[in-house]
Amino acid sequence: MSAVARVRAQFEGAGRRRSIRLLGASGQLGYGIPTPAFEAGLAREPDLIGCDMGSTDIGPSYLGRGEMATAPDATRRDLRKVLLGARRKNIPLVIGSAGSAGAAPHLDATLAIVREIARAEGLHFRLGVLRADIPKPVLHAALRAGEVRSFDASPPLTEEDIDAASNIVAQMGTSAMQRALAADVDVVIAGRACDTAIFASLPGMIGFPMGLAVHMAKIIECASLCCVPGGRDSILATLDEDGFELESMAPQRRATPVSVAAHSLYEQGDPYTVSEPEGRLDLREARYEAIDDRRTRVTGARWQEASENWVKLEGARLVGERAVLLAGAADPRFIARAETILAEVAEVVRELVCENTPQDYSLFWRVYGANGVRASVPPGEAPPNEVFILGECIAPTRARAAEVVRTMKQYLLHHGYPGRQSTAGNLAFPFTPPEVSIGPAYRFNIYHLMRAHDLDALFPLEVEML
Amino acid sequence: MRLQDIAQVIRSKNAGPRKLTLDVMFADDADYRRVASSGALNASRIATLYGLEAQDVAVIEYPLGRAIKITMPRRLTSGDPGDRDVYGAQQHTPLLGIEL
Repeated sequence: MSAVARVRAQFEGAGRRRSIRLLGASGQLGYGIPTPAFEAGLAREPDLIGCDMGSTDIGPSYLGRGEMATAPDATRRDLRKVLLGARRKNIPLVIGSAGSAGAAPHLDATLAIVREIARAEGLHFRLGVLRADIPKPVLHAALRAGEVRSFDASPPLTEEDIDAASNIVAQMGTSAMQRALAADVDVVIAGRACDTAIFASLPGMIGFPMGLAVHMAKIIECASLCCVPGGRDSILATLDEDGFELESMAPQRRATPVSVAAHSLYEQGDPYTVSEPEGRLDLREARYEAIDDRRTRVTGARWQEASENWVKLEGARLVGERAVLLAGAADPRFIARAETILAEVAEVVRELVCENTPQDYSLFWRVYGANGVRASVPPGEAPPNEVFILGECIAPTRARAAEVVRTMKQYLLHHGYPGRQSTAGNLAFPFTPPEVSIGPAYRFNIYHLMRAHDLDALFPLEVEML
Repeated sequence: MRLQDIAQVIRSKNAGPRKLTLDVMFADDADYRRVASSGALNASRIATLYGLEAQDVAVIEYPLGRAIKITMPRRLTSGDPGDRDVYGAQQHTPLLGIEL
């Protein structure tokens, strides 16, 4: 009997169901899972371990390149920890948004590590794999059928965007995850997934109220971040028919009514609603009560089933090769004129590297100490004593980007300006070479909603015996 | 009194790659009510600070979390060429000096 079947069997039959315990082991698998809290969580006999592994927060490069944001060794260590824990307790393990961005290369890299761990540790289990890649012909057809919408005012999707994207995923919801759980597996590893699907799917299929399950999931997918002090230690949620209780597995972290309520603000545009492919979570009536100084009980979330299913798409396309120049400056006259000097140097470089051809690269200056973080500096701010200059070039090839920043380095170093006293050089290089080739640069070019007539077909399931 | 003198938390972060969300959180209900009822955090004032139109800025009061949330479009999609803050975690500073 699989771990999922074993857990589900405990909730079958007449009479009042017992509550279900879910262990949020990690909000970002691959950045370290503190062992004491994870072990404390396992000692509480949870019914499921869940881990989120990705998001769009990290920017478009990982999705575009097909690479993980986390270090391979750290990812392996965390996966090993949760796999061993789940198999020891014979409970389901659910991992969403595998490999940081959840497209095929990320999922496959995650699966390779999982297989390697299973071999090394002599683990045998049924693995459900859910893919989240959207084939380009599917998206083209949806676009032509008028079934793609902008999201957060994204520019209208074009056929060219679809063709240019290197990876396109959709966020799966509970229905995909439940299909995997129903296939009698021990472990589910999903490509791009709503973080709520990781934890809400099992309680939902057992029959717990969906509003409560999704609300609980939304909180525990970040582990103990909803506590004071917030942190990455595992968290235990205990869900019943009327509400759920939250308790961090790290003794110093307290889940208080205010800290838990405030978590609804985190990375969410609206603390009262969460939209998912299968419906909408309504938190306007949610209530938070202290059980004691470390535990909070939450009630009142409502779930509104969607009449149509729309999935959120994410895609990234290559925009060129990136190279940067790293340099400091401390001369007050240089700093006072930096904006003008940088514009003049950009022009000098353009004339040299382009001669009579059109400029084929983009150049971005960020002057840290002045406008590195903020696009504009408020008037009246005192000038900084030192600045750090990041010169960035995005060009069609790696060689071209390197050529531009190397030329830029030389002309910025020696650029003359009125009143210049430091005539031997304008820049302090922390090391040489001060030019770095970063590699391919991507941007999110797809952030849209697509109508899904058949959610099952969109997120295919494969079951593998390890 | 400035907002940074009364708020416990003033933070910003992406809410997806195309939106920025700012949370102003308070240590107790009295501080929250004082700021919420002052109307100092209104859409048009915040829009001016961020170079946006008032209709682009949503201000949401959230008493259960003793917080006021502000959501606005990002100038550039996260990670687009020229972006300065991929996570959007350092875009809160224009709020610090708001006079109450």
